[in-house]
Amino acid sequence: MILPPLVIDVRVKEAGTRGFRIWFPFVLLWPLLLVIVGFALIVALLVDAALCLSGARYHHYSLLLLKSLHLLAEVRGTHAHVVGSDSLVDVDIY
Amino acid sequence: MSEERARILGMLAEGKITAAEAETLLDALASTIEESTAATPGPAPASDWPTGPSASGTPKFMYVKVTGKDKVDVKVPLALLRAGLKLTSLIPPQAMDQINESMGEAGMSIDFNNLKPEDIEEIIASLREMEVNVQASDGNHVRVFCA
Repeated sequence: MILPPLVIDVRVKEAGTRGFRIWFPFVLLWPLLLVIVGFALIVALLVDAALCLSGARYHHYSLLLLKSLHLLAEVRGTHAHVVGSDSLVDVDIY
Repeated sequence: MSEERARILGMLAEGKITAAEAETLLDALASTIEESTAATPGPAPASDWPTGPSASGTPKFMYVKVTGKDKVDVKVPLALLRAGLKLTSLIPPQAMDQINESMGEAGMSIDFNNLKPEDIEEIIASLREMEVNVQASDGNHVRVFCA
């Protein structure tokens, strides 16, 4: 099963500073995301049904929404590590 | 600019240290940042990542590595690319026309309407053989590959 990101970890450090780290538990937003997507999906299904009945060629808004969610889920596993002359940035999505 | 870096450059400007000494100090400062960050708990270090394209199998990640003056390590799941390409087939035609037009203006004449699911799998599989090596004039070495 493909799930949205669990945790987003961002670390920024500059020379001479303590830097900061944001360890954001994205998993806490899942219930909110579920409600928003559920509502949007109902609306998209109604729009698709109306478009289909009216004979419109394009009626895939609900699929588009689901695939967008899939795209969000596939962001998991992305890592970026950048070291400059006096700074360091790390972004990890789990 | 950090306080230490500004102080080193200030000493250089005042003539208290030479350019070579300033460079040594700045290098030491940069390595201190890296060491202190490495000490904090985090993901597997980029040194554990593959150093080149995989010889067999379907690649799972795209790696972008920059070495030299700057150091960049980026790992992007190819599943993200696959999902993105599949999403393009569902974009409303009006929006897709605008995207194609904008990309054409930017010099990338790719018509995403022509992409079929089987083409996407073929593209992903072919990425295994792709490797980009760029030696920049500023001393940076950029490598892009999939493994």
